[in-house]
Amino acid sequence: MVKFYQHTSSFEHAWDNVTYAFWLRYPNPFASHVVGCDVIDRQVDPETGVLRTTRVILKQGVLPRWGRGMIKNPDAYIIEESEVDPKTQTMVTRTKNLNHVRVMQVEETQTFTVHPENPKWTQVKTEARIISELRWGLTGRVESFGINKFMDNSAKARKGMAHILERLRQNAALGATPVAAAAAGSPDC
Amino acid sequence: MSSSIGEKCTNIKQEYDSCFNSWYSEKFLKGDASPECDDLFFKYKDCLMKVLEEKKLDTLLADARKDNPFPNASSSSSAPSSSSSSTNSESTRKD
Repeated sequence: MVKFYQHTSSFEHAWDNVTYAFWLRYPNPFASHVVGCDVIDRQVDPETGVLRTTRVILKQGVLPRWGRGMIKNPDAYIIEESEVDPKTQTMVTRTKNLNHVRVMQVEETQTFTVHPENPKWTQVKTEARIISELRWGLTGRVESFGINKFMDNSAKARKGMAHILERLRQNAALGATPVAAAAAGSPDC
Repeated sequence: MSSSIGEKCTNIKQEYDSCFNSWYSEKFLKGDASPECDDLFFKYKDCLMKVLEEKKLDTLLADARKDNPFPNASSSSSAPSSSSSSTNSESTRKD
């Protein structure tokens, strides 16, 4: 069984800054469960000029009580693959969990583009697929839990990005370059 | 400050991150894609690969990366049209 989710939202920040904030988004007060994040691969395609990155993110999962018997290791590893095309001003990110996939596989794609109604804003389209292969009547319950949890997390992720963007804006207003601003506020992932 | 998954790689990771952040905002987004942080990245990756092996993540990652997430990657014209989506719609459906 599969559940789908889609959502379109926007940030009142320019596309450049939003894609930059994407790299800086951990840590933030809305992502305390993220304890590590690493770049596995990163390169610019010499023909297209597109930056491709693969990262792995470690989250300390918060499991529901009924899930604790099924999952011994509550840590979740996430793989995130992304492409940034500065010419078309498009960033596409795709994430999925690496472990616990039999219980639940969550695949999320986000597309960041210049907002069609305001070139100084950014539009974010989120699409997700939640799949569970569990049997014994648990599947529906797991997927319902998954979709609710996903929506909660998705809202938190937006808040986290907004927090980083606001920090960049404040620092820019103080005259710091975005990089100095990031350095002041702990550059990360 | 967020760390590397392997504690011992956190310092080199953060050094690399600072380099990347400058390059991304000051060069890449402004049209200059020539690499600048490769040396730091190789050092960081050396450290990281050992950690991934220790944690047995290397095989999980290799499997996950077999599915190409960007099948149209060879053409850069992957910009989706953004005209049809409503500004704030949430939906779930079952298959």
